[in-house]
Amino acid sequence: MQAIVDCNSFYCSCERLFQPKLQNAPVVVLSNNDGCIVSRSDEAKALGINMAIPFFQAKDLIEQNKIFAFSSNYHLYGDLSWRVMETMRQLLPPGCVEVYSVDEAFLDLNHIPNEQLHTYCIELKNKIETWTGISVSIGVGPNKVLSKVANRLAKKNKIKTNCIVVLDDAKKIQAALQQTPIEDVWGIGFSYSEKLKTYGIQTAYALSIKDMSWGKRFLGGVVGIKLIRGLKGLQSHGMQAPRTEKKMIATTRMFGRDVTKWQEIEEALATYATRATEKLRRQHSAARGVSVFLVRKGPANPDASYFTHGKQLSGYTLLDNPSNLTPDIIKAVVEIGKYLFEEGSVYKKAGVILSEFVPDNAMQTNLFVAPADEKRKKLMNVIDNMNAAYRDDILKFGTSGTHKNWKMRSERRSKRYTTRWSELCVVR
Amino acid sequence: MEFIDIDPGQGIATQQSNKNYQTGQIVQANATGFGAASDDFMERGIDLNEQLISNKPATFFFRVNSDAMLGAGIHIGDTLIVDRSIPPASGKVVVAILNGEFLVRRLQLQSHSVTLIPENKKYGNIQVAQLEDYRTWGIVTFVIHAL
Repeated sequence: MQAIVDCNSFYCSCERLFQPKLQNAPVVVLSNNDGCIVSRSDEAKALGINMAIPFFQAKDLIEQNKIFAFSSNYHLYGDLSWRVMETMRQLLPPGCVEVYSVDEAFLDLNHIPNEQLHTYCIELKNKIETWTGISVSIGVGPNKVLSKVANRLAKKNKIKTNCIVVLDDAKKIQAALQQTPIEDVWGIGFSYSEKLKTYGIQTAYALSIKDMSWGKRFLGGVVGIKLIRGLKGLQSHGMQAPRTEKKMIATTRMFGRDVTKWQEIEEALATYATRATEKLRRQHSAARGVSVFLVRKGPANPDASYFTHGKQLSGYTLLDNPSNLTPDIIKAVVEIGKYLFEEGSVYKKAGVILSEFVPDNAMQTNLFVAPADEKRKKLMNVIDNMNAAYRDDILKFGTSGTHKNWKMRSERRSKRYTTRWSELCVVR
Repeated sequence: MEFIDIDPGQGIATQQSNKNYQTGQIVQANATGFGAASDDFMERGIDLNEQLISNKPATFFFRVNSDAMLGAGIHIGDTLIVDRSIPPASGKVVVAILNGEFLVRRLQLQSHSVTLIPENKKYGNIQVAQLEDYRTWGIVTFVIHAL
């Protein structure tokens, strides 16, 4: 059997761990730059706060109801996510935990006899909560699709299910599918659910009783067959090998305010290039393709001024030799940026995208790489190690600047309790 | 570029190109002298984490801002190492939440009562009332104190 473990209102739960006053209070967490609501506690949901709505639209509701709103504290969430995943890795046999996102993991539970699954999940859930302070929901089924169906029901009926639903026989599976609207099935997007409804399919159950040939015809070929098989409880996706290398790395941010000067754009681009190149080195790749985009501020429109993006400008270049050295990437990025930048325009967002990867070691054996590069590579290694040890990028390249006026808005961020000595939780 | 000079490999390379005879001497010294012998006993340096942290995903740090536990050697400004995976028991020093505040005290559990005991005469015992909002957050395993 397969399980999915999903943290309950993960970002809100992280905020609660070190702020007892939030315990039974409504809490929301905002996305990058305080743009949208990305996590809500049950209390906030009950007050009518919807997912993914822009912060400014919900501002009145938040103030009226004294809802606590936080900027994203990715240092805290990342650390607690690692703790949750590590707890499961310690409690399960090797290779049985597949991290699916920051707050979800699939588990292979084939080593647990069916009749013990429920007890096992209770123990697992309690242990995760005791060790990390993060509460989770667990859904179990014969495959990933059904474990997702189970998890949704566990979250919907928290009190009745104690956040655990195990679909271990055909009767339970059928009842669960009947309670699942078609648009809530894992892998069915908005357009497919609309299409399925035109065929009279409203629930997951209605789709599960269709035969495979129907799926092949009306639901995108192989994908449709896989999905129907999954809902019938037939096929298991199996565990996926842990995170594969990325084929593209992008670093992009909204500016915290209007940016008009080239110097600021240049600093921002150099910083993004540095970040992206660090990621590139971490996966031992080198990139050949470098692209840059700048987004202008949209026209002033009182109704939706926050969300009209202006014109997007982008440029792309291919390096002569693939590289993962920060100065090479910065040089290319700044060149493209300079070409795109226009004096007198107002910019809201910029980004750097690296693509066309080759493995780092293949690059080393390239006869045409100048030997001087070895020296520079060692320097990059030193910088990466020092930055990892001291945080906050104490070693930077000249172009990254030191002021960062354009930096992300995060006015409501809580302390980084688990990653900074200077921000530890205080006890009396 | 000072970092590059630290790299021993780089140092040897420079000598190789300048004074070849010296390189030979260095290699010989490495092969026969004390350096090579001690290599056999090389091991990883002492890692404080091994001594202080037994369950990493469940271990957190706190900063002390109270002299309530002075008698237990916990001073203002000290760092507490707190393990959430150890079950609460009488006599353990704990980090607890009482009415929305983080406290460090010695825990006393009796059949129907929880008491938080300070180790400083300035403070009194806290008897946790039935309806108060109380939670044991974690068990203090070590205190890091600067002298």
